[in-house]
Amino acid sequence: MSLFSFFTRNRSAPVARDRLQVLLAHERALDGRGDLVALLQQEILAVIARHFPIDQEKVVVKLDRGQRVSTLEIDIEMPDEVSART
Amino acid sequence: MSKVVVVTSGKGGVGKTTSSASIGAALAKAGQNVVVVDFDVGLRNLDLVMGAERRVVFDLVNVVQGDAKLPQALIRDKRLETLHLLPASQTRDKDALTEEGVERVIEGLRERFDWIVCDSPAGIEKGATLAMRFADVAVVVTNPEVSSVRDSDRIIGMLDSKTRRAEQGEKIEKQLLLTRYDPARAARGEMMKVDDVLEILAIPLLGVVAESPDVLTASNLGCPVTLHDPASPAAKAYTDAARRLMGEALAVRVPTEKRGFMERLFGRKAAAA
Amino acid sequence: MLTTETLPLPRLRVRGRSFMALVVAPELPLAGWMAALDAQMRDVPGFFSNRPVVADLSAVAAEARDDLAMLLEGLEMRNFRLVGVEGAGEALLAGTRWGRLATELHGREIFDAMYGDRPQTPESQASRPKSPEPEPPGPALANSLLIDGPVRSGQSIVFPEGDVTVIGAVASGAEVIAGGSLHVYGALRGRAIAGVNTSGEGRIFCRRLEAEMVGVDRLYRTADHWGADLHGRPVQVRCDRGTLRLTALD
Repeated sequence: MSLFSFFTRNRSAPVARDRLQVLLAHERALDGRGDLVALLQQEILAVIARHFPIDQEKVVVKLDRGQRVSTLEIDIEMPDEVSART
Repeated sequence: MSKVVVVTSGKGGVGKTTSSASIGAALAKAGQNVVVVDFDVGLRNLDLVMGAERRVVFDLVNVVQGDAKLPQALIRDKRLETLHLLPASQTRDKDALTEEGVERVIEGLRERFDWIVCDSPAGIEKGATLAMRFADVAVVVTNPEVSSVRDSDRIIGMLDSKTRRAEQGEKIEKQLLLTRYDPARAARGEMMKVDDVLEILAIPLLGVVAESPDVLTASNLGCPVTLHDPASPAAKAYTDAARRLMGEALAVRVPTEKRGFMERLFGRKAAAA
Repeated sequence: MLTTETLPLPRLRVRGRSFMALVVAPELPLAGWMAALDAQMRDVPGFFSNRPVVADLSAVAAEARDDLAMLLEGLEMRNFRLVGVEGAGEALLAGTRWGRLATELHGREIFDAMYGDRPQTPESQASRPKSPEPEPPGPALANSLLIDGPVRSGQSIVFPEGDVTVIGAVASGAEVIAGGSLHVYGALRGRAIAGVNTSGEGRIFCRRLEAEMVGVDRLYRTADHWGADLHGRPVQVRCDRGTLRLTALD
């Protein structure tokens, strides 16, 4: 066992603190209201559904909440007829 | 044939969520298709321990209530592609989870996964009873401490009467996972020994996980200990437990006291003084 | 922008459940009875908690009609969960909170209510309305119940028809009530009562006494009564000439 590792402290606590700060900032902002991002996703899908039918099974939603910027990624597989038209 | 495993305990804070994540990850590492499901209603924990807290869009209640389809709610682990998470809801509505809804979700999960690990909340209310309702196997997490043992006994009684399997006259396989075991305190007689707990609970032993700082580190970093530090004693214990769940007849190693260099140095000094 | 759909009505499920309720039968004078009840409850504080209780007012309804509501109030204050009232006509309690409880309750008497070693004073005998002759102790009951496995915490085994044998331990937080004798081939950690239907003939046998409470017929003892001497040893519990006796078997 090296002397260096004896003096090095476990550094995982700061990581935990940072993760919690981001997460709790989002959760406190919700304040009982629905999650804005989830709501946006529902509304976006509803708009698209007005133009062509969407198979819910073919919709993939990915979300990444960051400190300053959150990313919402929605992948929808468009039916062939539609992609041919565009 | 997919298997539904409920990780339950009765008592809170004994290590259910940590164990669900660690065992789930170990099974996935072994090539199995695994989903871990957080059955708490109102408090979300599994996503945090798995490091997926920033990616939760939909949860179990959303799927049960039809707001989202199962594939939309499942979150794939970034480190292991065969490991998925179905998070818990933050709703305050205790009736949001229904038996019919949960049954539909479990059936849907059975079509996609080899192992469905249900992380039960503490207590004996709806979240806990629904988590065990459709289970084939139960991992009863217990600390070597009197209230934990009594609560685990209560849960075992419920597993034998309140599960689908029990109602249909079939046996639900129950296994004991002893966590937060401290070999030094057990040796000094301050803590119940493994045999004491086994004698009282009378179910087979799945594994013994010693109290260890590696588990806290893994949780801080949002990575199950079996992925973060596979060589650590805790990870080895969980990996062995996963192997036993998969049917391997592996003998359980009860952790013994391990005195490091510094402890031996200071220990000797104390004795001399 | 979002449309909501009307949700279908939920399917209601109505389940049947049978459970044992305890019957408490107050006697005159009420103040004295209440005081005795409080003393008993200090001894075994958890005995009545979480159990449904029926109040049998037949001994007091006639003379103490004005105090009935107060009596029931007193019981509720002591955390008795009253689910029914007997022996007092609906008229007596009409207009009070308890009016709706005073309806005909059909149930099967399982055994006499447990009061511990209460002496039967002449006064209490006289004020009680004429009850049917107590049945003479019958021959040993032929039925027996075998439980192959431990009795888990929270489980309650009630078998007034005869003997009960448990192959395994009785966990802390569990209870077994036997009409005849109780044989536990393991540690007895919870609560056990024998002889509820053999007027004191039943006995309890266990491999290791670690119980919270044991009793035979109407007599019971809690763990602090028998002390460390018998703890952990194989023990026999029986009723001997009106007293509960615990003797080691090793």
